[in-house]
Amino acid sequence: MKARILNRADVLKIVDQLRQQDYEVIAPFHGWGRDTFFDTVTDENRERIELHLPNPYYPPKRFVLPHIERLLKVRRANGGIQIEPTYEEPKRAIFGIRSCDLAGIYHLDRFYLGRDFRDIYYEKRRRNLFLVNLVCTDPDRDISDECFCVCADTGPAARDHFDLQLMDLGNEFMAVAGTPAGEALFASPIFRKGGVEHIQKRHTILTEVRKRFKTTTSWFATTIRCVSQGSVSERTWEEIGNRCLECGGCTYVCPACTCFTVSDRPVAANEMERVRIWDSCALSGFTRMAGGFNPRRTVHDRRNRRFFRKLAHYFIQRELSMACVGCGRCADVCHGDIGMPSVVEMIRRASTEVDKHERVGY
Amino acid sequence: MNASATENIYLPKTAVLDRIVTEIPDVKTFYWRFDDAAEQQAFKRFRPGQFAQVSLFGVGEFPASLPPSPTEKETFFTIRQVGSCTAALHQLKAGDRFAVRGPYGNGFPMEEYYGKNLVFVAGGIGLIPLRSCIVDALEHRDKYQRIQIFHGAKTPGELMYVSKLHEWELTPGVECHLTVDRAAAGWSGNVGVVGSLFAKPGVHVPVENTIAFVCGPPIMFRFVIKDLLAMGFQPRQIVSTLERYMKCGVGKCGHCCIGVAYVCVDGPVFTYEQIANLGEDI
Ligand code: SF4
Ligand code: SF4
Ligand code: FES
Repeated sequence: MKARILNRADVLKIVDQLRQQDYEVIAPFHGWGRDTFFDTVTDENRERIELHLPNPYYPPKRFVLPHIERLLKVRRANGGIQIEPTYEEPKRAIFGIRSCDLAGIYHLDRFYLGRDFRDIYYEKRRRNLFLVNLVCTDPDRDISDECFCVCADTGPAARDHFDLQLMDLGNEFMAVAGTPAGEALFASPIFRKGGVEHIQKRHTILTEVRKRFKTTTSWFATTIRCVSQGSVSERTWEEIGNRCLECGGCTYVCPACTCFTVSDRPVAANEMERVRIWDSCALSGFTRMAGGFNPRRTVHDRRNRRFFRKLAHYFIQRELSMACVGCGRCADVCHGDIGMPSVVEMIRRASTEVDKHERVGY
Repeated sequence: MNASATENIYLPKTAVLDRIVTEIPDVKTFYWRFDDAAEQQAFKRFRPGQFAQVSLFGVGEFPASLPPSPTEKETFFTIRQVGSCTAALHQLKAGDRFAVRGPYGNGFPMEEYYGKNLVFVAGGIGLIPLRSCIVDALEHRDKYQRIQIFHGAKTPGELMYVSKLHEWELTPGVECHLTVDRAAAGWSGNVGVVGSLFAKPGVHVPVENTIAFVCGPPIMFRFVIKDLLAMGFQPRQIVSTLERYMKCGVGKCGHCCIGVAYVCVDGPVFTYEQIANLGEDI
């Protein structure tokens, strides 16, 4: 992939370049305390864009899959029904999307655009989305205590699926083009060719940064195997389920969760809209059928579901990746400390208690 | 299946109700057609066992199996009133409009059953999803060996599709056995659960080279499966259709997942072998 070097002082000029090309540019900002968020860049807030900061809890997934999205407008008149699909096709760029979230969007691509049916609402939002990835290099600000992209193999530096990737080398930044559209930006005079020393520096920084992760869950393989084979004991699932408050937080912050519900709501007399809304398998109504029968009765059945869907071999094979990209958000927000890393660890520990290997005899 | 890139998989098309027939208490059959004739024609390419998403705007959408065979002239749903959507449908009158999209799901792989005996076991409204398959099989009668239908209901008044049942009872080459849990005046037939029919004198259910279709309420399902396995059926010789809370019907919303399967796209037709290996209880 083609790389270029630019001065630190010029980095935000990429935002300007994109805005000149009519992109609505989304970038990360700092609120109060830990609060960080993605917002649309304006002339007024441009100077406040932050490159290094904790990744916002509200994932950038919402720019391809809004929290609430209208699908149809429906009008009734003279015994007839008019149904009008409503689409949005914004020209948008996300500046400073982290590698985990980038992998999240790629996961959504395969899920919503792959298989038997393509989701046209997703596709229209995705089509003109320009992605500027920022490599996480600041161990204090970029990498939270819960990040584990190193174990999910998605970061800290994404290998693909971005249009442009930026990496902080100190006084300079390295820009890597992932697509022809990204490479086209290199026409601007702010970019120059670098030397071997830049590549070496990138290497040194990445090697160093990889050692700075506090959460490492090297047990994914064991856990994936146990979950896929159904060999996690009921007791372990119960233990996990007992700690779940059924708030749904873990699914709402997850960049790789895909589930939604559909609801009709009136907007005027004889007029309504059909919307889809993020939904959560943590909530008990998720599988409740008309008439009240609920196949997933207990809370641990539902917790079990989240991890099964994310980690079972069958789904990994189908989507070519786990539905977990290692962003650590669920671990951060969960009141019961049963985010992904903890669960991986709990299952791993339980698997060493029942020793499957020692059942030998003569 | 394979929807083209520009197609909107969530967009239902308007349809009009032609007539409504009450089958049994709380269960009605709704005869309908799309407003657009081309839409109607395209829809009629469905396979037995597939389903459609029915929209009652303002209330919501729900999955409904398709009881007619693809070659039957009329399109219809048979719906029991259970929740808010089905209640809204039950309120409609002939001439009213609603909307439909589909067909969805895998359907029964009928070609795979060519040359085999077909045994249909339906408890109560479990006959709704099997009706399509039975009618289709009878339309291609020479493709199959023996065809047996076992249908049970709580009372004689709750037997489904009575005129069809009478037609099947009189059709040569079809064995149709009925039973009820509780007899009523005028009922001279069998009394007992549907499985009790298998052991009735004069009834012989072949196991070799047979496919058994089982649909009905959970308890009936469990007992019939037990009976069939005891008779020597292999789990892969038994097929059924599963029901789930569904929001999209096209494998996206996640509501219908059971273990590794998305019931709406991987099902709703599953062999018992598949059902037993889904990785989650049904
Ligand atoms: S964030 Fe934790 S407590 Fe809340 S639903 Fe998820 S697992 Fe349960
Ligand atoms: S499961 Fe947790 S760590 Fe994994 S992608 Fe989702 S929120 Fe991030
Ligand atoms: S009904 Fe939405 S995924 Fe099956």
